[in-house]
Amino acid sequence: MKLLEYMARDVFDAYEIPSTSGAIAGSLDELKVLAPDQDYPVAIKAQVQTGGRGKAGGIQFADDEQEFLEKGRKILGMTINGFKVKKVFINPKVDIDREMYLSFTLDRKTKLPVMIFSPEGGVEINEIAEKNPEKLVKQIIPPGNKLDDFFIRYAMDKTGLEPELKDQFMVFCRKLYNAFIGHDCMLAEINPLIVDPDGKLLALDSKVDIDDNALYRHPEILPFKDEMTSDATVREARSFNFLFIPIKDEGNIAIISNGSGMIMSTIDLISKNKMHVTCVLDLGGGATSDRVKEALRIVASRRNVDTIFINIFGGITRCDEIAGGVDAAMGNLGDTRLLIRLEGTNKEAGLSLLESLEGNIRIVDGLDEGVAALGEEVKA
Amino acid sequence: MSFLIDRDTRLIVQGITGREGTFHTEQMLAYDTNVVAGVTPGKGGSEVLGVPVYNTVLEAMERHNANTTVLFVPPKFLYGAAYEAIMSGMPLVITIAEGTPVHDMLKLHHLAKEKGVTLIGPNSFGVISPGKAKAGFMAHHLFSPGNVGIMSRSATNCYETVFLMKKAGFGQSTVIGVGGDMIPGSTFIDLLPQFEADEETEFIIMIGEIGGSEEELAAAYIKENITKPVIALIAGKNAPKGTSMGHAGAIVSPDGEGSAESKEEALTAVGVCVAESTQDIIRILKGLK
Repeated sequence: MKLLEYMARDVFDAYEIPSTSGAIAGSLDELKVLAPDQDYPVAIKAQVQTGGRGKAGGIQFADDEQEFLEKGRKILGMTINGFKVKKVFINPKVDIDREMYLSFTLDRKTKLPVMIFSPEGGVEINEIAEKNPEKLVKQIIPPGNKLDDFFIRYAMDKTGLEPELKDQFMVFCRKLYNAFIGHDCMLAEINPLIVDPDGKLLALDSKVDIDDNALYRHPEILPFKDEMTSDATVREARSFNFLFIPIKDEGNIAIISNGSGMIMSTIDLISKNKMHVTCVLDLGGGATSDRVKEALRIVASRRNVDTIFINIFGGITRCDEIAGGVDAAMGNLGDTRLLIRLEGTNKEAGLSLLESLEGNIRIVDGLDEGVAALGEEVKA
Repeated sequence: MSFLIDRDTRLIVQGITGREGTFHTEQMLAYDTNVVAGVTPGKGGSEVLGVPVYNTVLEAMERHNANTTVLFVPPKFLYGAAYEAIMSGMPLVITIAEGTPVHDMLKLHHLAKEKGVTLIGPNSFGVISPGKAKAGFMAHHLFSPGNVGIMSRSATNCYETVFLMKKAGFGQSTVIGVGGDMIPGSTFIDLLPQFEADEETEFIIMIGEIGGSEEELAAAYIKENITKPVIALIAGKNAPKGTSMGHAGAIVSPDGEGSAESKEEALTAVGVCVAESTQDIIRILKGLK
């Protein structure tokens, strides 16, 4: 789960990573309450789960109350890379001598943490890698979950970091690494890590992505999960323990299946046959007819969906439960076309129930056969 | 002799007293797997389906000379249970649970390597040597004995493949669910040498998917070390970037790392037969025969 900057700032605070203190506002009324108490000039920053907000005008500065309200309101109305700005984070404006980059993330190849540092920050890391590769260090941290000081010293020397910044930087590294390990991070990033005119290091931005599977260890963050999910269908599906994934706006086909691999394969086959999948829903294992009914309702009500391909390979999932769910949902699906492939546990019982149903439903035997039938239906 | 599990496997089930543990112990026993003991801390001295239960892996190993463990424990407890098994000197540890924190696997992956333990999974259906033994929850009736070895990141794609294989008259030597997580205990390159050495395996099927670089690493290994024909399937060619497709590991990063194209290209370049679909795997198998 990618945290918004102000939430990530709370994580940083827990590890005593030096940064500015800020306030949060989600409406003009809240801005009005904050306005008189600000120590101007201040920075107003859009809180969105995407990069490039600076370029999009999502970070602005205000010198007085009037400017604060004008600009704050403007940013609150923005949409940046498809993300609606619902909150702004207000921080004192800081004078910047220079900007650096520091992060810890997971290297999938070695299955180890990696520290990435550049004394030239402020822009996207890929840009640094392209323009100044000699100013970028990627250091793998070997097994044992300990960040030894010599790794940090090596990174500092390699990139030519000024001696007077070294002690502070060492502390920053250790603290950010502690946050990365302690908070189950996929990514903990400071960009920019600034040097102010007094030579003090400060985290001016905070980016934290926490492993969804470890959120139970961080109960203070768990409640934000729904708030961080902008798609209402995804939220509703999650409340039933389904995984709903929007694929693309183009196309009218939805897939319901019982496993991640099968879903990917089904999308691949349909796409190969020049059709478009707009969304998918993963039932997981062992879905009951009541839950299948809810899954069908959720998918059928999604915009653009006119055909649902139910592709089930039942191990712990029983085909008769799937058929029972289809039976229960049939009356409420409107014009939605159903194409159903059942294989595995209790296939016969499932099929005999489906065959007795009336409505816009077609039964197919096999995945390839199902996709071929889908082609006929969609073109018809 | 199958290389991971066989008739001489002496299996313990960690979490045997739980609902899933008990249900699948019954299934494994029905498949004639030699389940010698169960372990649930605090439940030592009891019995499940006639199988004795102990408090610790050490005691179960000592009394029954167990050589393999399968973990039917929830993801929250996977780290503790796998750590105990590895530190107790269990040579083969098979993990099942979906939803294990990645930092837990980060530690376990390297600990197992350091101790010389084979760690399989998690987010996996386990391991089966058809007709001999199974350790996991796979729908075993789909599998049949034969000379094709399979390792798969996905359970459902593997089911589909073995189902089509059975129809076409093919069977399997050993089938391993490497699992759908970002950091598995064992990856394709950890298992390829064993398939190459295994006398019962003549062909190798590798069911991969988007995310990470295990397939690229496998390609480099195959080029230098594998003489048996390899067939690969990469699922997720049309998945959107930056979106996890359900398996925690199945994600193409926004800069394109982990894409299906990169994997298929690397595999094709070293002579691996890249299948377009599960059905296509069967077509290729028929051609190789």
